[in-house]
Amino acid sequence: MFRRNRLMIAFAAVGMLMSASAGAQEYPTKPITLIVPWPAGGSTDISMRAIAESASKILGQPVTIDNKAGGSGTVGPATMVAAGKPDGYTIAQIPITVFRLPLMQEVSWDPAKDFSYIVHLTGYTFGVTTSAESQFKTWKDVVDFAKANPGKVTYATPGAGTSLHIGMEQIATLAGIKLTQVPFKGGAETNAAVLGQHTMLQADSTGWRPLVDAGKLRLLMVWTSARSPNFPNVPTLKELGYPMVYDSPFGIAGPKGMDPKIVAKLHDAFKKALDDPAVIATLAKFDMVPNYKNTEDYKKFVTEVTNSELKVIETLGLAKKKN
Amino acid sequence: METLLNVGHGFGIALLPINLLYCFIGVFVGTLVGVLPGIGPISAMSLLLPITLSGTPESGIIMMAGIYYGSMYGGSTTSILVNIPGEAASVVTCIDGHQMAKQGRAGPALGISALGSFIAGTFALIALMLVAPSLASVAIAFGPAEYFSLMVLGLVVLTFLTQGSMAKALLMACIGIVLGLIGLDSITAQPRLTFGRLELIDGIGLVPVVMGLFGIAEVLINTEQLIKRDVINAKITQLLPNKADWKASAGPIGRGTILGFFLGILPGGGSVISSFASYALEKRLSKTPERFGNGAIEGVAGPEAANNAAAGGAFIPLMTLGIPPNVVMALLLGAFVVHGVQPGPLMITQNPGLFWGIVASMYIGNVMLLVLNLPLIGMWVQLLKLPYNILFPLIILFTIIGVYCSSNNVFDVYVMIAFGVIGYFMRKIGYEPAPLVLAFVLGPMLENNLRKSLILSQGDLWTFVERPISAVCLAIAVVLLVGPLLPSFRKKRELVALEEGA
Repeated sequence: MFRRNRLMIAFAAVGMLMSASAGAQEYPTKPITLIVPWPAGGSTDISMRAIAESASKILGQPVTIDNKAGGSGTVGPATMVAAGKPDGYTIAQIPITVFRLPLMQEVSWDPAKDFSYIVHLTGYTFGVTTSAESQFKTWKDVVDFAKANPGKVTYATPGAGTSLHIGMEQIATLAGIKLTQVPFKGGAETNAAVLGQHTMLQADSTGWRPLVDAGKLRLLMVWTSARSPNFPNVPTLKELGYPMVYDSPFGIAGPKGMDPKIVAKLHDAFKKALDDPAVIATLAKFDMVPNYKNTEDYKKFVTEVTNSELKVIETLGLAKKKN
Repeated sequence: METLLNVGHGFGIALLPINLLYCFIGVFVGTLVGVLPGIGPISAMSLLLPITLSGTPESGIIMMAGIYYGSMYGGSTTSILVNIPGEAASVVTCIDGHQMAKQGRAGPALGISALGSFIAGTFALIALMLVAPSLASVAIAFGPAEYFSLMVLGLVVLTFLTQGSMAKALLMACIGIVLGLIGLDSITAQPRLTFGRLELIDGIGLVPVVMGLFGIAEVLINTEQLIKRDVINAKITQLLPNKADWKASAGPIGRGTILGFFLGILPGGGSVISSFASYALEKRLSKTPERFGNGAIEGVAGPEAANNAAAGGAFIPLMTLGIPPNVVMALLLGAFVVHGVQPGPLMITQNPGLFWGIVASMYIGNVMLLVLNLPLIGMWVQLLKLPYNILFPLIILFTIIGVYCSSNNVFDVYVMIAFGVIGYFMRKIGYEPAPLVLAFVLGPMLENNLRKSLILSQGDLWTFVERPISAVCLAIAVVLLVGPLLPSFRKKRELVALEEGA
């Protein structure tokens, strides 16, 4: 009995200390909903679950995942913006399509105004492969062939307007070559297309890894900032002379008008989560590279990425019609 | 010999008590989600994926696989009993299965679909063990041109799905194709028919459409027939298929198995198409095609065998190439990856225990399913005696939960209700929903592959004839289309039409 009382006094004392400090310290007092705009069970969902679990230990409140898939990953964030509760209890994963789709069509949100960006987390590993039987041994072979045969080089992407499509077109512009995109649906189909040599190249995230390991596909380049630890012999875009990194990065944000103190608290928790060994292990399984940016840098990044994407989208003829 | 050793090793793993337990949980959950309309294997597997993380990779994947093929067993139950497909692959089972139930033959229908599923499932597994690596090349031999021609062949199947007027069936197919176009254009990423609605950017889902057209519409149409329980009135004479049933079903099961297995291997083909194709094949081969649509047991046996064999075939590209041929397999790929295993050409050699263990567990799972399902038939048939004022609200409840669970979007529930109302009026004026569903599935794939082949061939249409697989598919399609115009065939069709008109 006595022992329990002491415990309660201790709790009360801690509680008083906490309430004595700033108001935002009390946040969070209830579970936080993290909207993941992808179906449950996918690579993004699984890694976000690992990050959320780690962050919830730090925040002291459960961070529950709400899968709201649709609209290439924009329905979730758009729903959050429309609900408009900047109390910090509803936040969302922000995939790059949230910035890209508004450039291509009319949407209900404005990426520059409608979000309180919190923290930038990670991105994917993209790469370009070709069949092991292909004539292309290096990326230079592709460029040489494409210069002699404009438009003859075909590449499979997991969809039109995806980061892979836009990235390849940027590379082609820089290299001064013309490539032909063949959009498939997802990584399974692009793997089959390049394996069966229906297309000459494949541009996709690391779904090709087991096939490259088995020697059935040849990896020509990766689009990350540094070489992938799994493929130390494969050059990055920068090394090949294209000054860019393309990894379809993502972070989290809440609706506009969030209390900066709450933003800071969430930022700290998720930043710490990125250092959690369990999170690092999960990200590594999907070849995701931690790509931390703080709140300010994240905001700047949004403007940069919007501008650079707009240029490509306009050259591709994908930009929305201006009235 | 080496294969036998491996199989033995696999059974050693699959028979571990913990794995047996996971296998049982898997097939049990699978049967359940198969039976419940709307809740398909995809939602069940994605919800249960995190739970498997604590165990070994074998246990987790054995359970996930069990859910998948278990749902193929269970899916036929509601199709037969209440004319509502438990999942998309069972749409075609509704046509004859429910007619059989109305004639008091629900037992044989359920029995033949369970036994046919067992036979097909077992065959698919043996094939998976013996020829998996050599068949992997089939999956990648199909490029856009081959898929286009296969889809053309698939659409010809439509003409065999029709019960009544061909014009009505074609109209339904057109509507299905247009509905399939909704969403971002797959080649240029321009939104089509979305009316500025964000929810429509990904198109409308197959699950809400099927559940609306079949589930909700069935309930609506039944509420107006004031408790006319034809099922109860017909006396239930037998629970299991008799000798004559077996004789009629043997061929369809055999053909359905082979057809399903090969279509299952192809990315994008899968169980939905294989069940439709099997139905069409049986109707085409039958000496008495007029029985189809009026409770022909072949129309249940063939498609049910096909969709189970397809479930087995689908493992081949996943296990040998790391290429998941459908959404369920993609989820399973995710399960492998979170357990730190990358399915691909190296998996069988690097993780023989895992590969053979999973395959062996599928044998065991198939036996479990049979043991689980046969005694349940009696119970399911009793379910038909449940008063409609209890049964129907339950069906509506489950379809709504199921559709919501598959995407967590209320919008999908609205889509389902809308299609329920549309389906109701379609039935009132004699339009069949099956051609619409088939066209809805095939239409977008047809378009996408046509455009991709033309990009690859730089606009040259000859590509479809020059490539052998593509040419063969087109040739069969032509034969099927032109065939009925020839005198002997025409006579047959007229007979069918007469029968249906009567």
